[in-house]
Amino acid sequence: MAITSTVSPDGNQVTIYIQGRFDFSSHQEFRGAYEKLAQAPIHYRVDLQGTSYLDSSALGMLLLLRDYAGGEQSNIQIVNCAPDVKKILLISNFEQLFDIQ
Amino acid sequence: MEHLDYDTLNTLKQLMEDDFALLIDTFVQDSTDRISTLRQVIQGTDADLIRRAAHSFKGSSSNIGALQLSALCSALEKKALEKRLEALDVDLDSIEKEFAQVQVLLRSLS
Amino acid sequence: MNDVRRLKILVADDTDTDRLILESIVRKEGHQVVSACNGLEAIQVYSAEKPDIVLLDALMPELDGFGAARKIKELAGDELVPIIFLTSLSDTESLVQCLDAGGDDFLSKPYNRIILQAKIKSFNRMREMHSTMLTQRNQIVQYNNRLLQEQTVAKHVFDNVAHSGCLNASNVRYFLSSLAVFNGDVLVAAMRPNGSMMVLLGDFTGHGLPAAIGAMPLASTFYGMVPKGFSMTDILREINGKLKNILPVGIFCCATMMDINFRKKRLKIWNGGLPDCFIYHHQEGNITPVKSTHLPLGVLSNRAFKDNCEYFELQKEDRIFVWSDGIHEARNADGDMFGEGRLKEVFSRNSNPELLFADIIEAVQQFVGSGEKDDDLSLLEIRMDEPARVNSFAKEASDKFGNSEIEWAMRFEVKPTSFKVFDPLPMLLNVLMEVPSLRAFSSTLYTILAELYTNALEHGVLKLDSELKKTPDGFSDYYELREQRINQVTEGFVRINISHKTNENGGLLKVRIEDSGEGFDHQQRSTDNLSSFGYSGRGIALVEKLCGTVTYLGCGNIVEVAFSWASDD
Repeated sequence: MAITSTVSPDGNQVTIYIQGRFDFSSHQEFRGAYEKLAQAPIHYRVDLQGTSYLDSSALGMLLLLRDYAGGEQSNIQIVNCAPDVKKILLISNFEQLFDIQ
Repeated sequence: MEHLDYDTLNTLKQLMEDDFALLIDTFVQDSTDRISTLRQVIQGTDADLIRRAAHSFKGSSSNIGALQLSALCSALEKKALEKRLEALDVDLDSIEKEFAQVQVLLRSLS
Repeated sequence: MNDVRRLKILVADDTDTDRLILESIVRKEGHQVVSACNGLEAIQVYSAEKPDIVLLDALMPELDGFGAARKIKELAGDELVPIIFLTSLSDTESLVQCLDAGGDDFLSKPYNRIILQAKIKSFNRMREMHSTMLTQRNQIVQYNNRLLQEQTVAKHVFDNVAHSGCLNASNVRYFLSSLAVFNGDVLVAAMRPNGSMMVLLGDFTGHGLPAAIGAMPLASTFYGMVPKGFSMTDILREINGKLKNILPVGIFCCATMMDINFRKKRLKIWNGGLPDCFIYHHQEGNITPVKSTHLPLGVLSNRAFKDNCEYFELQKEDRIFVWSDGIHEARNADGDMFGEGRLKEVFSRNSNPELLFADIIEAVQQFVGSGEKDDDLSLLEIRMDEPARVNSFAKEASDKFGNSEIEWAMRFEVKPTSFKVFDPLPMLLNVLMEVPSLRAFSSTLYTILAELYTNALEHGVLKLDSELKKTPDGFSDYYELREQRINQVTEGFVRINISHKTNENGGLLKVRIEDSGEGFDHQQRSTDNLSSFGYSGRGIALVEKLCGTVTYLGCGNIVEVAFSWASDD
């Protein structure tokens, strides 16, 4: 379970990569990836290509991110989901809150 | 027709350089041998043998520029080819005579 | 001036004078001279010195020029050794004789230096071209041999991989000509745990090595997944993904895959890129074609891959015919293709279905004719029959799966000392995965078990309150508290009960989890947590969506779910 992130050169986009299981044990690292940036980004991307599993606490963490990023005004994409991961997001109606690809 | 083609001989002189004298000697020796060979074969009736001997001598004489000599050999060759084997010794006499002349002329050059 | 490199030239003339002159000319041209006075000597000198060009007097004693020329050409073998005849012969017949003997040109007496120079130059150019050509030809032969060798290896690998499995069942007939196999046709077949037969006929683009490379992951995936009970679409998807990853763009596998259930007399079929398969109905004597409706394997990414299949109800003695395009594209001497028209004719002409298979092969072979060595046929026939008459595996599986309802149950209890060090979920999931039909649902089942267990552990045993998770900081606090309490817990339990029962159409999995906590007022539980977006409460809602029902029992410390699944045959 490793969380890494990259920031675009102009500081407007941050991409967070989640490897392995995305569950409550990722909590600190996940927060750290978006809270301590020098400049508040405009776009957020959560890349789940390497994510094997997503549980309900992870759903909670995504919502925390959304709130931090501006709630209704936030601009967050969740990308590269494996079919099982996507299923959980869709069952939870998260496509109403996030741009899921 | 001339006995010798001096153009040919000049070219040969340039070609052989210091070996020109050697060439002349070789030709003289060669031709002498050929003439005696011819003397022998015209005694027999083997037309092909006579033709070949005449042909060879024709070749070498033409290479050295001995025009008349070459022509005489050519005539002999033709006679043998046509199997007209009469009076060949007369033809050979002419050849021998011509060769003697050529020999003198060549020697004066080298 | 001389612009030819220094050559070695053989001068053979019996007249000393002539030879001397020629030697001088050749030397003056900058070349090395070797000499001979007669035919025999010419041959000897040639063997010893291997000159680049030979000047040969036509009339020589011992062996004349013609004889020498023939021998020299023989000795030269593959290489080009130009032979220029020295001759004052002028009659055509003699000149022809020179050429017949292997001569390439003439130089007449008296010798002309310029002419000789030109001939040497020209022949040397020819010699060099010829030499280059020989080298290249030898290289080509070498490469070709290597290619042939590689292809033999490829074929060997291919043969071992590409057509094995249960093709020796009594209702299966197949024909794979060796050229077809070599051209990338793969035929694999295996029995599923429930007694059905899964078959795949594939036609890789390209031949030899590229095809063999694709066949290996295809076959190993196929043979790995079929006995484990994976469904046809899962297997197709897996194969497609693997091929897409390893094959270069432009190389793919046209394929038809089938799942044949002998017990229920059903056929499930997916055709991507192969010609129409035919289902021959025994009773009516007609054909239903099954068209290719998909792209071949290895083209689309797994996201874009379409796995929808066609289903057919069949009767005993109905036959399924599957083939690669080798039949349709077989050509006769005039270049005409066999085509689907002629294939249909074979069917309409036939009066004994048992002979259809042989009829098809014969028709194609006759059409192509004996002259053409282009036998590229792959043909498969499967006849619908009772499981007992297919093979022993089918019979056994059918007896086992068919009529009986299989039932089992297990109990597992996690005790206080285990909570912090032991996660029971992987083990429990493993047990479930032993049921072949449940394998397709592994991630769903994992989610269900994980959410239920987490709830039981966190709320029941550790007595954590979800209310804490209402704020971002509260979220962190909650998990900190969790870590603390799990390290300190000394009492409590989580009991997990799982039972499974199969039936005609599938099965029902029941999971019941009981924790040692005080429960909660489950009557008041809001039932639609997935549309209100609080930070917590989603777990159970998720389970509800996946299972259909979530029932609380006792004081709220027991939760029960039922997961029902339908078999895909």
